[in-house]
Amino acid sequence: MITFILKRLGSGLVVLFAVSILVFSLLYVSSGSIARNILGDQATPDQLAVKEAELGLDQPIITRYFSWLTGALQGDLGTSWFTSEPVSSALATRIPVTMTMVIAAMVLISIIATLIGVAAAVKRGWVDRVVQIGAIIGDSVPGFVIGIILVTILAIQMGVFPATSTISPGVGADAWVLSLTLPVIALLINGVTGGAQQIRSAVIKQLERDYVRTLRSRGIGEREVLFKHVLRSAAPAGLTVLSLQLIGMLGGVVIIEQIFALPGMGPLAVAATSQSDQPVVMGVVMYTVAVVIVVNLIVDLLNGWLNPKVRAS
Amino acid sequence: MKLGPKAAAAAILVSAGLALTACGGGAAGTGAAAAKTATLTLGAVQELRSWDPAQAHVGHYLQPYQAAYDSLILREPDGKLSPMLATAWKYNETNTKLTVDLRTDVTFSDGAKFDAEAAKANMDHFKKANGPQMAQLTAVSDVAVVDADTIELNLTAPDPSLEFYLSQAAGLMGSPKALGTDAIKTEPVGSGPYVMDKAATVKDSQSVFTARKDYWNKDLQKFEKVTFKILIDLTARTNALVSGQVDATLLDPKTGKQAEGAKMNLVATEVDWQGLLLMDRDGTKNPALGNVKVRQAINYAFDRKTILDQVLMGQGTPTSQPFGKASGAWTEELENYYSYDPAKAKSLLKEAGYETGVVLDIPSVPGWETQLAVIKQQLADVGITVNIGAAITNTFTSDVAAQKFTTMFFSLFQGEPWVATNQIVSTKALYNPFKNTTPELQAKIDAVETGGKDAGKLAQEVNKYVVEQAWFAPMFRVNQMYYHNSKITVEPQVQQAVPSIYNYSPAK
Repeated sequence: MITFILKRLGSGLVVLFAVSILVFSLLYVSSGSIARNILGDQATPDQLAVKEAELGLDQPIITRYFSWLTGALQGDLGTSWFTSEPVSSALATRIPVTMTMVIAAMVLISIIATLIGVAAAVKRGWVDRVVQIGAIIGDSVPGFVIGIILVTILAIQMGVFPATSTISPGVGADAWVLSLTLPVIALLINGVTGGAQQIRSAVIKQLERDYVRTLRSRGIGEREVLFKHVLRSAAPAGLTVLSLQLIGMLGGVVIIEQIFALPGMGPLAVAATSQSDQPVVMGVVMYTVAVVIVVNLIVDLLNGWLNPKVRAS
Repeated sequence: MKLGPKAAAAAILVSAGLALTACGGGAAGTGAAAAKTATLTLGAVQELRSWDPAQAHVGHYLQPYQAAYDSLILREPDGKLSPMLATAWKYNETNTKLTVDLRTDVTFSDGAKFDAEAAKANMDHFKKANGPQMAQLTAVSDVAVVDADTIELNLTAPDPSLEFYLSQAAGLMGSPKALGTDAIKTEPVGSGPYVMDKAATVKDSQSVFTARKDYWNKDLQKFEKVTFKILIDLTARTNALVSGQVDATLLDPKTGKQAEGAKMNLVATEVDWQGLLLMDRDGTKNPALGNVKVRQAINYAFDRKTILDQVLMGQGTPTSQPFGKASGAWTEELENYYSYDPAKAKSLLKEAGYETGVVLDIPSVPGWETQLAVIKQQLADVGITVNIGAAITNTFTSDVAAQKFTTMFFSLFQGEPWVATNQIVSTKALYNPFKNTTPELQAKIDAVETGGKDAGKLAQEVNKYVVEQAWFAPMFRVNQMYYHNSKITVEPQVQQAVPSIYNYSPAK
């Protein structure tokens, strides 16, 4: 078990390292205009040269990469070129907002998708058909469109929720809940419909297996068969889908945060990328890759815990 | 096993989620504002990079700084320059020394006194802080303290824009004690009408200011509380305005319709011009562009009014000149210098020997695909081929400087005449990458530089020259659509899409 975790963490570090080199070189290509973008149209060549030296842009890419890497390994991700804000503090204030949303959405997705998926698989008939149709609709409407529709109806016309975030220090938990409700709904609908579909087919597959018939023939109650045996065997499929959704959500949340003006990772990532603010982009990318690696690891561990067959392999 | 593993996993996830959801709570109930205070909440299009006054910018970016900092000179809504921290200012005869008298009754929010030493400290800091507008003080070689309330700005060469700059970024005065510290980057320390409420301010979300007690100029302090809510996304700004979360914000022609539906009031100002920059006027890379008749033909090919109506819902004014209406360089006669006349365009091309074969490579600009498609169509009608290239990226300023583009479609700010000249006409201008000039034009530019108070009028000659020589193919000045609700009144500010902070008042 420990070897497994260490192995996975090791390969995760290799991925992090490879991604850092790739992203750093991609950003290097567009770094030619940085000094002018910071100083404006009318800056003189001398002023540009001073700024470039200040940012270390006059150094060769290898030197720049290694100075970034040495810093990063010591926990110093540098400072934004444009705002002079330390990257670690920029991430520290934004990660809670984004992760609150993502985790809340994931928890709700797991619960709702499981309930709907199991209901569709067990009941079949019209329940199943409604779920199927709902899934097609849910899958085909992008989250940001759902977000805009929700804002128009619930915030602008009915005034139940704020149209854009009101999160700030000193506001109570109620403001967090009110500000995050619509974005979380916008985020989770695609996940619920997609997840329910997967869980439905996994449960149907399990229900057709011989062991279910054996269990039933021994007089074990339908409820116990379903929750103790079938769901456990169907869980790996569901977990894999959920982990993919969580990773996909890290992208989707960027747009949702823009629409709801939430001070999360989204605005930071968009601003930094469009300005080629290299230290910030590197910080955002490294963080995202780390989340993906950790999520995958957790899912593998959960799968092993739920299903001994997976553990063996 | 009593609790199934799946259920246990779900329980852990739920409780973790709930804990996280609640973690931002903090002290509840402290946010309730006192009743009946005049508050102003503005939807800002961008977060500031730094509150250091030397990092201040123009246009949209100036407004938040005005809450915290006074400037030496106040720019009135119509562009007139009035006393603020400076009570009077005067040039010497050669326009190379500006003597500025200062107020003596002003303190900064940290208690430091505003005086000549403080003003000098600010300008010295501005010159070396590498801010986005550092070019504003390029002409100033040094600042001398004459006495406690007088400074002298010594210039290496006359700069007709200097007084204007002192009403902008270069004129913002921060506490000399705070300049250059890390603290001022996140918390401004100025002498302005409002002070930051640091506890309520969140980076990338909102900056909150409260009225400063004993502010020296009560006329400019009309609200108890001013909040800048950062709303980068246009949809978010529209929703925030329409639902009453903000009192005013910047929209565009399309979202403006929605705001008008919700009974919001429009303040429209023309700030930028859109059009073609025919940059290779010596024909270095594209010989056809070296011929003035070809450039003029391009100008005659456009039905500006129709394009404006169709593409920008009529929000703007068709024009043939690159200089703005408020700049002093604008003239009525140049406004419709090139009317829509495809026949004339064709005959000019024929005279130039380019009846066929003129090809323009224009880079694409994200968001302006429609404009570019129309341009391509209208130029095709007179026999000019347009190839729309790859979209410009964030390296485009260095691409422009490296002469990568011979022609481009762009939107540019219409500033004061000397600012505009150095942006698009002089050999120092970024948007004159091929450094085109003639002795005749240079003489006109020199006249503007040394022209002092007559700079605007003298710049009319520069304007006339570049219009007649068809350096550009301007299309229109574009309306900036600033909307506000009826709780406040807003006076437009010339050359600014987002008005100065002094232009807002509570509605009576």
